[in-house]
Amino acid sequence: MSKWVIVSGVSRGLGHAITMDLLAAGYGVAGCSTTLSDEVKALQSEFGSRFFWQATDMGDSDAIEAFVATSIAHSGTPPWGVVNNAGMSVEGILSTLPLADIERVLQVNLTGAIALTRAALRRMMRTRKPGRIINISSITGSRGYTGLSAYAASKAGMDGFGRALSREVGRLGITVNSIAPGYMKTALSAGLDDKQLDQIVRRTPLNRLCELSDITPLVRFLLSDEAAFITGQTLTVDGGLTS
Amino acid sequence: MSFDLVRTELTQILTDKSASVVEITPDTVLLNGPLDIDSLDLATLVVTLEEVTGLQPFREGFVLFHTAGELGALFTKAAG
Repeated sequence: MSKWVIVSGVSRGLGHAITMDLLAAGYGVAGCSTTLSDEVKALQSEFGSRFFWQATDMGDSDAIEAFVATSIAHSGTPPWGVVNNAGMSVEGILSTLPLADIERVLQVNLTGAIALTRAALRRMMRTRKPGRIINISSITGSRGYTGLSAYAASKAGMDGFGRALSREVGRLGITVNSIAPGYMKTALSAGLDDKQLDQIVRRTPLNRLCELSDITPLVRFLLSDEAAFITGQTLTVDGGLTS
Repeated sequence: MSFDLVRTELTQILTDKSASVVEITPDTVLLNGPLDIDSLDLATLVVTLEEVTGLQPFREGFVLFHTAGELGALFTKAAG
């Protein structure tokens, strides 16, 4: 039987790339997102029952609980791992950002990730078997970026959450790690204009933006048995930008 | 009924972690007592009981309990 991994935010970008990579590696993937994108439909068509999808608003903890319960009913097994990828951003100078937007970012990016992890862990810990939690963070969580204060706060919170949880569940053999990608050209970074992206590239020792394919192999590695002794860490993949 | 379930699941947890299985009565203290369990084991026990019974006695907040009997009573109360 395949190991199953729960991935949030699979409709596009990094979440879709991670899902494709894990399915290709033989995992079963239970994915969620708010919209049923063409990319998700293609995954459903190509991978059949090894890919489960459910519309889920990461700002709704009841919907998250329902997604985890339904996905486990589908797979017939508690998840081996969780990849907290779903995220949204709001750009702007803090003093002008609507509070509702700030609260929504924290709810989706941070509380949603914690709720998804909690729901999955409740099933995982009963098995008394190892497992993996991976949080997709961001270098903005440790370094910051003008106009991304709320987003950065959510990612820093995610890192702190992971460090604390790694201590809590380590005895069960469940590892918890964050991956902090550098700046990527995805829908999430749409708020950065070309001038800003050029500046980031100039300051990056490896002289380019982060690609989806820089992240997917690391997710796969952290999910593997070989990564059993890595926990409580934030692994930065940014071409040396923050070195 | 609830205490019997607590005893069954607790015994399973002790067995799974290869701890010595002692007699469990309603008065058995769960943490820092005769059982070789820690707070993570206790959390596992509570989660298991919630999953098995479909009851959530801590939905509105944590309620202090010390013994196996007290934990069982919380589930009995939640069942109404």
